[in-house]
Amino acid sequence: MSVGNSQSLDHQPVNDDCQGSWHQHNPRKGQFTMRILKTITTIGVAGAMALTLAACGGNAGNAGNAGSDGASSGGSIENLKIGISLPQKTSENWVEADGFFNDTCTEQKLDCTLQFANGGVAEQQNQIDAMITSGVKVLIIGAIDGTSLGTQVEKAKDAGISVIAYDRLLLDTEAIDNYVAYDNFQVGVKQGEALLEGLAKIKGDGPYKIELVAGSNDDSNSSRFFNGAMSILQPKIDDGTLVVGSGQTQQSQAATQGWDPKNAQSRMDAILAQNYPGSEVPDGILSPNDTLARAVLTSVEQAGKEQPVVTGQDSEVESLKWIMQGKQYSTISKPTLPLVQNSIALAVKLASGEKDIKELNGIQVDEEQYNNNKKNVPSFLLEPIVATKDNAKDVYKDEPKKLEAVNSVG
Amino acid sequence: MSEQFKQLIGGNIRQLAMVAVLIAEIILFQILTGGTVLSPQNLQNVISGNAYVLILAMGMVLVIIAGHIDLSVGSVAAVVGIVLAVLTTSMGLPWWVGVLGGLLVGVLIGLWHGFWVAIVGVPAFVVTLAGMLSFRGLNQYIGKSNSIPVPEEVRTLGAGYMNFLPPIETGNWIINSPTMLLAALGAAAVVVLKLRSRAKLVAAGASVPKAWVMWVQIVFASALLIGLGWVFATGRPGTSFPIPGLIVIVLFLCYNFLARNTPLGRGVYAVGGNRTAAALTGISVRKVNFFVMFNSSVLAAIAGMVFVGRSTASTPFDGNSWELDAIASVFIGGASVWGGIGTVGGTMVGALVMAFLNNGLQLLGAGADWTQMIKGLVLLLAVAFDVLSKVQGRPSIIGLLWKPKPKPEAEQATKEA
Amino acid sequence: MSCPIESFARAGVTVEGSQRGTVILEMRGITKEFPGVRALDDVSFSVRRGSIHALCGENGAGKSTLMKVLSGVWPHGTYSGDIVFEEQTCRFATIRDSEAAGIAIIHQELALIPELSIAENIFLGNEIRQGLGIDWTETRRRAAMLLAEVGLDNDPDTPVKEIGVGKQQLVEIAKALSKNVKLLILDEPTSALNEEESAHLLDLMRKQRERGISQIMISHKLGEIAEIADDITVIRDGRTIETMHVTDHDVDEDRIIRLMVGRPLDNRFPERHPKIGDVLFEVRDWTVRHPVNTERLICKGSNIQVRSGEVVGLAGLMGAGRTELARSVFGHSYGIYERGEVLVGGRRVSTDSVPKAIAAGLAYLPEDRKTQGLNLLDDIKGQVVSAKLKKACQGGISIDWHHVRTIAQQYRQDMRIKAPSVDTPVASLSGGNMQKVVLAKWIYSDPLVLILDEPTRGIDVGAKYEIYQLIGQLAAEGMAVVVISSELPELLGITDRIYTIFEGAVTGCLPTDQADQESLMRLINPTSSRPATV
Repeated sequence: MSVGNSQSLDHQPVNDDCQGSWHQHNPRKGQFTMRILKTITTIGVAGAMALTLAACGGNAGNAGNAGSDGASSGGSIENLKIGISLPQKTSENWVEADGFFNDTCTEQKLDCTLQFANGGVAEQQNQIDAMITSGVKVLIIGAIDGTSLGTQVEKAKDAGISVIAYDRLLLDTEAIDNYVAYDNFQVGVKQGEALLEGLAKIKGDGPYKIELVAGSNDDSNSSRFFNGAMSILQPKIDDGTLVVGSGQTQQSQAATQGWDPKNAQSRMDAILAQNYPGSEVPDGILSPNDTLARAVLTSVEQAGKEQPVVTGQDSEVESLKWIMQGKQYSTISKPTLPLVQNSIALAVKLASGEKDIKELNGIQVDEEQYNNNKKNVPSFLLEPIVATKDNAKDVYKDEPKKLEAVNSVG
Repeated sequence: MSEQFKQLIGGNIRQLAMVAVLIAEIILFQILTGGTVLSPQNLQNVISGNAYVLILAMGMVLVIIAGHIDLSVGSVAAVVGIVLAVLTTSMGLPWWVGVLGGLLVGVLIGLWHGFWVAIVGVPAFVVTLAGMLSFRGLNQYIGKSNSIPVPEEVRTLGAGYMNFLPPIETGNWIINSPTMLLAALGAAAVVVLKLRSRAKLVAAGASVPKAWVMWVQIVFASALLIGLGWVFATGRPGTSFPIPGLIVIVLFLCYNFLARNTPLGRGVYAVGGNRTAAALTGISVRKVNFFVMFNSSVLAAIAGMVFVGRSTASTPFDGNSWELDAIASVFIGGASVWGGIGTVGGTMVGALVMAFLNNGLQLLGAGADWTQMIKGLVLLLAVAFDVLSKVQGRPSIIGLLWKPKPKPEAEQATKEA
Repeated sequence: MSCPIESFARAGVTVEGSQRGTVILEMRGITKEFPGVRALDDVSFSVRRGSIHALCGENGAGKSTLMKVLSGVWPHGTYSGDIVFEEQTCRFATIRDSEAAGIAIIHQELALIPELSIAENIFLGNEIRQGLGIDWTETRRRAAMLLAEVGLDNDPDTPVKEIGVGKQQLVEIAKALSKNVKLLILDEPTSALNEEESAHLLDLMRKQRERGISQIMISHKLGEIAEIADDITVIRDGRTIETMHVTDHDVDEDRIIRLMVGRPLDNRFPERHPKIGDVLFEVRDWTVRHPVNTERLICKGSNIQVRSGEVVGLAGLMGAGRTELARSVFGHSYGIYERGEVLVGGRRVSTDSVPKAIAAGLAYLPEDRKTQGLNLLDDIKGQVVSAKLKKACQGGISIDWHHVRTIAQQYRQDMRIKAPSVDTPVASLSGGNMQKVVLAKWIYSDPLVLILDEPTRGIDVGAKYEIYQLIGQLAAEGMAVVVISSELPELLGITDRIYTIFEGAVTGCLPTDQADQESLMRLINPTSSRPATV
């Protein structure tokens, strides 16, 4: 009993490091125009009605304020009340988000309340309840657990508050307006592409022996990363260009419990011992993030073998150094600032009464990819970019800390 | 026959049952993996990769024998790891300053836990639960949730090899000489200790097993040590028995001695077995409680440093649910949930049972899902096995396995009575 | 209890019910084996309806095992032989089965839940229901009736933890009565009770006998047996030795003891020829406050002197402050020290912690060897050296287990500790042998002053004699020995001098040869109007 509790208390929120650090400056536009044309009809009467009703409810509940806010559409948004609820402050990316949200709110003279739920799910529930009570117009929620905030979100909807899922999707509820995040399937796609590129560049002609590492089974993003990557790699496996040396091609076999690097390291130790005798070595390893990338690289290094091509994600400072040293091949950049800015922009639009938003700062809405078990959530997906030794200086030119890491290595 | 067999394996069948489980497990996986388990590379991986659990478990078993629990070890190790990394890599101080700094943090946290448990009297469960939360937070605060690498010397502590003597090269073999030296020393120690113990028993007029029994034991133990030494020594050139393994062995010898042969160690058992009686026997319950809590944090500090050495960096993931691994090892090793019972040696075996299980499943490519399910079941069955074999008035399971005749001692007892 | 050997014959069994004399229970040829030990060997035993049947035997003789077989703790199939209860052959699989048949057992260790009320405890597991819930009104009414039946005047809503052990015993009996018990088994019912409570309990047993309830009583107190039993069965080494009817006029304590131990005991107390020297141990003006109720003094300026070679008794009722005095002197391990000093060999010593008290030459054998005296998880050799581990160390650091083994072996032989080896866990020893281990542990600590708190409680006659002998030997070696005991005959039998204590104060000091039970009773209970009923 005690042990169970302690486990949950001690567990770090596993998804942080794989989604956290994002860098992108030019979200690409117009990618999903085709889809939108197709799905515009599928929004459905129910969805539209829900939005309308919600707006009415909001007006009824807060007649005075809502009226003035509504009138200010496109005009003054000063002192618009926005509640921002974020998970535990466990990775640097959330620390960054904290700063960016505050800066953006101050700049735009918004009345933002930002809280981290360091105490877990229950604390986050309480914080959102309090925000609703205090009369926010829009909620931006980065959920600790996407399934556990249903009650709060429904309550918000009833009070006419718009709800934006930030970075992590809110599941099992109708009462969510939009989702703003980096496209995690695309992350996987780009990792797969980077791996192929790196193999061709460094290991010469194929076929190549590779190994796969996936994220934690209890994180739904793990599947998106893995499936995205496999959408690129599977055809190459099928045609014999790539060979998975251990034969472990299922996601459940490749999974890293809890995103814990020691698990990836010991799994790679075992794979090397079992499948790569003598000086044999995998040519490449697909890794879903930087922490795990460094863990498998450490494993290979400690086995005294040649370094393989390894992908990553998150642009962690340590990995940027490894990339510049040529130890790790690539990482994925998902800068926090655009995500924050787009979320706030979306919040302002929603608060000013805009419905059924199709486009946000050039990003077209995606109404297919993310279904939260109740509906397809209209999502604004920012596109991640690959960083390698060649383009790192360019990719990180606006992020001093990361640029410093890049420049610190000859 | 069964009597001679018992003498041969040392008499205490119940304690050796888990050793048998470990050996069976290794043999099973050795067959299933086609011989990888006992390859030098894999053994080195298992030892280096689990050194931190073995170290933590040594502290945990004393805590549990004294009737407490320490939930904070993972968080303490994480704080120590990040302090070590920050002192060395971020602040540029020499590696040994980092190690001393890490130890100092362990000592301070140990004093903190000891104070609340032994002096104030807050239950250890609560104190270390609080510690688990606070020190996890402290780790994040110090490291800003970053991973920070550690210097080369610390990596040697966590995954390095002994190369202070040149290797012996003969034909196809390149043999690591320090490893063989270590194995030979171990074998020599077995011979000396056995002979000395026997001589003392004879001097005390106690009955001793036949001489051939002792010699079979000596030959077997020495062969095992030399054999293992050989496996470790003939791995990839430049590798040996890993340095973290050496740290574990040194600590094991110290703590085994402490638990069995010192008044302090006996005090731990006494307090766990019957606190009131211990107090009325002149054992300072407070001192014992302070010691076990303090010691657990210090060992957690060592474990944390060995671990970051192996993973080459301190990350925010360090120490996650380590306390569970340590506690599982202690219980598989035969300790009682109620305190008073447990051994350092048994705990080491318990930790190795879990380590080889994990390793074997990974070698077979079982996914994380299956690994967790199987580990959970093994933990349950191991402890159930232990519980059932302790139920009074029922022949023990192990007893049934060997179908023992009534013990001659017991017969003697009934005659006397 | 009763010191002079008296005849067990009693004429006044008045209730001769119509069924009196028929057999309610018959156990035939019961054999129960544990691995390596035959605990019961073809035991046969029968109980007459409406009688009180005493079961006597040394600890480990098999009494408790026999009762466990009877009550279903050891289920049918784990033993051989037949149980015939009320003319039915019974095969109890659980305790519930035997309870359903009308057999209830009250264990030595009470099985009440301290936090629950008396009424809740009585009907625990047997609740009076009303629909889905519990009918509390009826529960209280019936509980009150049962309490009246057993002579308890407490409110049924009182939590059990607030009433004394004696009353808890009565609650246990009420609980048994609530289940329409036909055969009540009482295991050492008076071992934790004082005189008055014991007397009340025995009265209650008589009353139940008049109501036709059959009773089996396990007791070491031969005086009690003499007072109340109709039949006596003696068990030794797992065998029935003899069953006697008290009306046969030839039953006396000597005979029972002889049957129990299998040899004649000429005297219950060994001969001593004390060589008394100078004052070795002295407690002056010892004043201690109660640990919780700090207003109350539990020792009121007590003064005690013990000379070398002398055995001094501390007599007093339960709760009079005997144990409290001993424990507060021994390392201030009870109560809040107010003032007073301890002198050993004429020099003031500090005893404010147990290690200091031990260093000063004090040793204290606690009243409950299982919860206070021993680590039951340890073995004999480990416990023998536990009070002075430093002495067992080589060069001060490492315990020399070879040496320890030799020492423990010596004690095992000298003190006749019945155990297969010194590696035997102490938990498997009988009460007397456990007590010898505790004694060995204190002797190993080289004490000058030995304080023994109830050294023979719950120990059979044979082992008692051996412990008396040991006490005599230790005194003869020059120790100052203090014996605390609730059994006045024991104090009269083994001490040289007796201090009496009442409500925390020393009320008198008598040389043993000038004392008798009556004079002692007057001193230990000055307020009692009735004469001592021992």
